[in-house]
Amino acid sequence: MSVEFDEGVAPVPERRSFLGLISGLIVAGISAVLGVTIGRFSIGPAFTASSGQDWTELGPLDEFAEGKLVKKNVIVSQDAGWGKFQSQRSVWVVRKGDDVKVFSGVCPHLGCSVNTRADKFICACHGSEWNDNGDTLAGPTPRGLDTLEFRVEDNKLKVKYQDFKQAITEKQVLS
Amino acid sequence: MLFAGIIWKNKIMAESKLNKLYDWLDERTGIKEITREALDEPIRGGARWAYVFGSILLFLFAIQVVTGIFLTMYYVPSADHAHASVSYIQKAVPGGALLRGLHHYGATAMVILAVAHLAQTFLFGAYKKKRELLWAAGVIMLLIIFAFSFTGYLLPWDQAAYFGTKVGASIAGEIPVVGPVQQRIMLGGNDLTTVTLSRFFTTHVFLLPLGLAALVGLHLYLFRRATPAGPFHNRDDKKIERFYPKQVFKDSVAILICFVALVAAAKYWPAELGPVADPTSDYLARPPWYFMPLFQLLKYSPGKWAIIPTVVLPAVLFGALFLLPFFDRREERHPLRRPLATALLILILGGSIGLIFLARHQDRTNPEFAEKLKQQEEDMHAYFAKPFEPQIVGGAAAALAASGKAQEPPPAYSENCAACHGDNGEGSPIAVGLIGVSSKPQRSKEDLLKILDDAKPYGLKKPMPESFPKIPPEDKQKIVEWMMTLKAQ
Ligand code: FES
Repeated sequence: MSVEFDEGVAPVPERRSFLGLISGLIVAGISAVLGVTIGRFSIGPAFTASSGQDWTELGPLDEFAEGKLVKKNVIVSQDAGWGKFQSQRSVWVVRKGDDVKVFSGVCPHLGCSVNTRADKFICACHGSEWNDNGDTLAGPTPRGLDTLEFRVEDNKLKVKYQDFKQAITEKQVLS
Repeated sequence: MLFAGIIWKNKIMAESKLNKLYDWLDERTGIKEITREALDEPIRGGARWAYVFGSILLFLFAIQVVTGIFLTMYYVPSADHAHASVSYIQKAVPGGALLRGLHHYGATAMVILAVAHLAQTFLFGAYKKKRELLWAAGVIMLLIIFAFSFTGYLLPWDQAAYFGTKVGASIAGEIPVVGPVQQRIMLGGNDLTTVTLSRFFTTHVFLLPLGLAALVGLHLYLFRRATPAGPFHNRDDKKIERFYPKQVFKDSVAILICFVALVAAAKYWPAELGPVADPTSDYLARPPWYFMPLFQLLKYSPGKWAIIPTVVLPAVLFGALFLLPFFDRREERHPLRRPLATALLILILGGSIGLIFLARHQDRTNPEFAEKLKQQEEDMHAYFAKPFEPQIVGGAAAALAASGKAQEPPPAYSENCAACHGDNGEGSPIAVGLIGVSSKPQRSKEDLLKILDDAKPYGLKKPMPESFPKIPPEDKQKIVEWMMTLKAQ
């Protein structure tokens, strides 16, 4: 490095110096403020996101015809950062008098969509069948249709949508 | 006594261990040489507060990079979601307002300090002999900083961003010959769209930072090579101090003051965010303050003269700055003995500041503008005060949710149409979605009925299978009525 003047003129100062210490503290302080802010910024929202579903209204209870297999779509919504991401899922409602059942429209076998034929539930993918109670009649399905939690308020049927693990005999919530 | 002795002994032992570690590291990295090179740079005339600007700028650049990187953790560069994501950062994410505020005010501070740094170098004649390239790199860096401001301004996609950029793009389009082509390239088309936002984003977070980082490296290298110019007088030419510790201390204190000011600004005057861009509104666009001088000059330049302030003047100014050290070869550095240069600097800086105030003053006193700008300001504050609301995303479901209660399709639709058009009209790979169809031109209820019976007169390409005409008329009515309720977001 070329310089216009003699470097030797100025003695190289001690590394240990009060001013150096203050400078170091300043740098450390700024880094700490930034570090904490960035930490909160990046980690915080990871713990507030939720995909827990609200109760979705399916309509007045007495509009579900006695003994019929009725398909309804529910909107499931996931809170993720700046958005509420909504998509639709199907559920099946069977009402027999006061006895109501709400089934998930997802086949417990490998996740195809459940459909109906006459008064039976069927899954066309691998030929599973269930009666209107959700009990297995035929096919490779490992368990009966998955029932969903529901409640009736002011005669309105409301359901809480959930996804379950497939291909196992136990009904297990996917979370 | 004994106690103190033990502490003392421990201290010495700890130190010798540290020294060993340092030696070990040095053998492998040459760290001693590097620190010596970094800290022991001789400064002619000694450490001074006047020399802190470069270090603050380096610090600000680091702040911008760090805050910028983390802002992209939530920011979405798409016209549909940019605003929601910025609003989320500002209003909902812990530390988000501070981080965005630091980035926002850091940008402003960079413009101010870069201008100050250049003005000082100019005033002290520190661009002369041996430092020409150092100076030229600095001038280009100032340009890059302005490019940062321009591209970053659009990213929040609020009213000010959208209309401000629109004006900026039009100005770019006015450049003779190359203007229209350049404008197209800049926008990625002939209008300000989500594509524009994407390329502004890419430029802002990848291209410009790379360019600036490279120039910072070059600038520092050239600076070390040329050594600091020192004071313009030679009163204390004999006095030479090392960069460490005095100048390091002065730089650190200046950086601390700057940082505290940024944090305070971010806390007490949060970075603004207005309502989402609405291209149909009659928003009165105003540039950020550092583009105000050109904006004001634009008012005095009717018609084809507009390119004088928008293009010619900046080009001449930057061209002259860039070439300055190659013309001005006198060795004299004292500002008072370079009256022309000093007067020029005062004229340009003073003129710019004057124009900013003039523009503000005119906006305040023109009743029409004042009213509108006040209204816009109020809208902005009203929007800003509202708590964060997540944006609802998700095709059909969202559309249904937005139109109030989800309307069930009529049974005739489910039987005849749903197989292809989706259970709720969301469409499928084999058929178009029906959501939002009714809001298109020529799609009244009557039109839809006619289209469904015979799509050809409407010039639709893929006709539906002949299933619709067979549906009984009252069911057709129901289907079409239901279709009319399918509103897009
Ligand atoms: S997925 Fe339903 S039977 Fe296999």
